Amino acid sequence: MPPDATYPYRPEFVAALQVFARVSEAMVERGLPRPILVGGAAAEFYSVSALTTGDFDICTMFQPELEEELQRFGFVHPGGAGQMLKGLVHPGLKLGFEVVSGSVMDGKVDPAHIRLVEPIGETALFRIISVEDLIADRMGQYASGTAKDRFEQARLLLQLHPNAELDYLERRIREESMGDYGIEDLRR
Amino acid sequence: MSVAFAKKAWAIMASKISGDKAQQPVISMAELGARLAARRAELALPELPRNVGRRRTASKRALLKAIEDAGGKW
Repeated sequence: MPPDATYPYRPEFVAALQVFARVSEAMVERGLPRPILVGGAAAEFYSVSALTTGDFDICTMFQPELEEELQRFGFVHPGGAGQMLKGLVHPGLKLGFEVVSGSVMDGKVDPAHIRLVEPIGETALFRIISVEDLIADRMGQYASGTAKDRFEQARLLLQLHPNAELDYLERRIREESMGDYGIEDLRR
Repeated sequence: MSVAFAKKAWAIMASKISGDKAQQPVISMAELGARLAARRAELALPELPRNVGRRRTASKRALLKAIEDAGGKW
């Protein structure tokens, strides 16, 4: 792959998704579902690295099996970090993966909206939260009052994705924000 | 739905299907990235604000420190 083939994404982000896709394929070979990428890494994916992250939040009901596969691909449990650390780090890629939940957004997402992605330079596939659910997630965090910075993330993600499914997006933002916000709030 | 029940339901479903590749469209990251980059340039959209980090769990803070210790930037 030529050096600029990952553009417009960061090369290290593309490398991470290639590994994630291979790990996902290994899960399928075991008869298990692919894990699902959520959180900041999903925001980096849908923003073409306008937002960058070094840790990858994953949802899967099969955490022990996923961690086995991650270790097969070079991830390690860092030593000396204490019992608080649940994630795994890849020393070569200098990034970490952490299973944050067994289900995506407490099971409130429509499973048909979980997306399947072929990373740049890789034929294996991975799954990711939809941009609609990601925007709703950002708005839910904004509405909670503890993450005011999420509003701009949500607004810019919507600007980047004008073809988002608006009916679904409206419903999901309302659900996540307890009815306080909708699409129009992001367009002001 | 309990995790055990969900795992059993998945195992039954998995025994009936050959995988997820044939069941839904696949997004090409290369194509999506090119389209989004053009859109971003067209609208002159700025960098997204970084997460302030007030909501990070102890586990997340430990993971980010471990990444830093490995020489990574997040």
